[in-house]
Amino acid sequence: MNGIRRTVWSAAAVAAIALVAVACGASSSPSGTTSKGTITVGGFNFPESDILAQVYGQTLAHDGYTVNYKLELGARSIVVPALQSGQIDLYPGYAASELEYLNHGKGEATADPAETTSKLNTYLSAIGAEALTPSAAFDGNAYAVTKATADQYNLKTLSDLTGVADKLVFGAGPECKTYKFCLPGLTSVYGLHFKNTLVLDTDGPATRAAFKNGTIQVGLVFSTDADLQQLGLVVLQDDKHMIAADNVVPVIRTKAATNDVTGILNKISAGLSTNDLFTMNGEVSLQHMDADAVAKSYLQAHNYFS
Amino acid sequence: MAGGVFLDIVDPWINWNWLSTHIPTVLAALQQHVMLTAIAVATALVLSIPIGVVAHLWPAVRVPTLGALGVFYTIPSIALFALLIPYTGLTGTTAEIPLIGYNLLVLVRNVVVGLESVPPDVLDAADGMGYRRFARLVRIELPLALPAMFAGLRIATVSTIGIVTIAAVIGIGGLGQLILKGLIENFHTPLVVATILSIALALFLDLSLAGTQRIALPWSRKQ
Amino acid sequence: MVTETMSLLEQLWQWFADPANRQGSDGIPTRLGEHVQLSVEAIIIGALIALPIGVVLGHYGRFGNLAINLSNAGRAVPSFAVIVLAFQAFGLGGGPIVFALTLLAIPPMVTNAYVALREVDADVRDAARGMGYRELAQVIRIELPLAVPLIMAGVRTSAVQVVATATLAALVAGGGLGRYIVDGLARNDNPRLVAGALLVAGLALATEFSLSALERLISPRGVRLRRHPVYQPLKIV
Repeated sequence: MNGIRRTVWSAAAVAAIALVAVACGASSSPSGTTSKGTITVGGFNFPESDILAQVYGQTLAHDGYTVNYKLELGARSIVVPALQSGQIDLYPGYAASELEYLNHGKGEATADPAETTSKLNTYLSAIGAEALTPSAAFDGNAYAVTKATADQYNLKTLSDLTGVADKLVFGAGPECKTYKFCLPGLTSVYGLHFKNTLVLDTDGPATRAAFKNGTIQVGLVFSTDADLQQLGLVVLQDDKHMIAADNVVPVIRTKAATNDVTGILNKISAGLSTNDLFTMNGEVSLQHMDADAVAKSYLQAHNYFS
Repeated sequence: MAGGVFLDIVDPWINWNWLSTHIPTVLAALQQHVMLTAIAVATALVLSIPIGVVAHLWPAVRVPTLGALGVFYTIPSIALFALLIPYTGLTGTTAEIPLIGYNLLVLVRNVVVGLESVPPDVLDAADGMGYRRFARLVRIELPLALPAMFAGLRIATVSTIGIVTIAAVIGIGGLGQLILKGLIENFHTPLVVATILSIALALFLDLSLAGTQRIALPWSRKQ
Repeated sequence: MVTETMSLLEQLWQWFADPANRQGSDGIPTRLGEHVQLSVEAIIIGALIALPIGVVLGHYGRFGNLAINLSNAGRAVPSFAVIVLAFQAFGLGGGPIVFALTLLAIPPMVTNAYVALREVDADVRDAARGMGYRELAQVIRIELPLAVPLIMAGVRTSAVQVVATATLAALVAGGGLGRYIVDGLARNDNPRLVAGALLVAGLALATEFSLSALERLISPRGVRLRRHPVYQPLKIV
């Protein structure tokens, strides 16, 4: 039966061509280069995390490690288990947020980065990981209002909201209702009771859209966001120091934490400032530059590649 | 900031400068997308033939099989991707398992329909010519079921391309990664580019499969 | 793994039993209501646009290729992208989501309506003309009743697709049952995630069954629905 044989051969040919095309396109990893080891760097699904992961990864790669990236993974609930199961070796964490995630919101984090990090390490050791030396670079929760709202009620600090909160709508991400330094903190430390709380996203496009169209007047952003001024948003000062030490800290699996690696990462942490975060965020969010390019120029400017 | 969004000069829908400097990124996403799709469809295709044959030969198996696959079909993909992470990790496998499951419904169903549509006269003739059961299946029935299988293959391929975009939500790339980048960074271009490429890929593969069917099975035209 | 699954089932049971999940702005009735509202709006608006177009094209037999291939082309559009595009173009809220869902709902209904009208026997048309029916009356009183089963099949396919896709609204801060899935993922709250998945699946199945029943109910007796693979239910979410 000619037709059937032709069918089978045609199908096989199509499949073969497809497979070859796909396989040819697949990149082949260079072999034979001596490498100090392989490290997989993970990151959260916001630009700053991409940048920090690239900063860590490119420095390690420059020093002779084979670096793989697993970026834009999502929230902590995906990243931390990935670390625990060894799918990633390292990620750029924020001391207070990591602690409060691991202790299921007990509220142990303080405004002191060293204290927070050592508490964090008691939890991380249980999952075979550790946090290194926290950086001075800080990116924590920040609560912003539109300029119009700030002018209307003369708002400069979070305490200023006390009288007017019940006239305003607050927007944040899904974890804000239960995260100690988010809504519970605003309620207990500042006594704020908003007219309504909307679940949007954590400092993402939905929060920004909600500000834009007036759906919310107060919202959660991150302190190093570069587009706040462009959006006409004003961050209210945390005058009662509710917000804890969300300093950038490398969180790494103990197996991967050799002296060489930790030395490199600690050096990066020491040289990183909050302003650096702000600048790099701006390059990505406002100028649409790529995180890896931004990280590279930061490293070159600070002579990490020399 | 209430200006018409379509007149958004600050951030045009396609920023050609960005696009021209990011061709490798876009192509890498496209390639990853093709790979994820190809593996899902090919695996489901291979699995669907024995499963479909069994479902066809034993009607008692058919209803529960199609029923189970049908129920699986209604579960949203994001949920399945997320649920599989603890078991299969952040790998392509996590994306592939639900995709293969979804494709199995379409492909198995079409194998069954295809086998059922073989005219009884043909079966009689084959029996009369002395074909044993298995030989009859492989050399007569399955080839005649090919048009239905091709139809299923086209549907499975096109729908897989769309669902793969959602896997980006758990970090498994492809064109969905560009969509997510556009969403998170409030940036139109990667989103628009990914949408156009995704549609183009789907149409291209659909037409290729249709063309392949025409060439390979010229007797199946128009049905 | 068995014990993990068993404890997940237990937690799931508790989640559904928990009064906090049965009331309020994040409770099942509210989320279900939001999801149904988004879906119903999209299907109705979609039908109001798609059905007249399909019927007219089918009646006159024009643009057949376009009508039939519209559903093919519609399948090729990634629903995630459409939802995000609508969000970026029109901002926050249910409106942009309904817009996106409506776009996705239209193709299957146009195709099915077109084919349904084309399937009406030429003899029937001739007979109607011979009896003196004017154009519009012919369509409404003769052709449409015969076309109803296939049209309803198209509406049913669209409806199930819309219900499934409305899950993605949660990715752009929308409401609906997708919220349980997205929030569950963000908070590592597996019972919530699974509950959301089950609720969406259940709603999709309920939509399928109820519209099937409706289809049988309003199909004129004596019209056998010829099972043409005009548009197969498509997985897009």
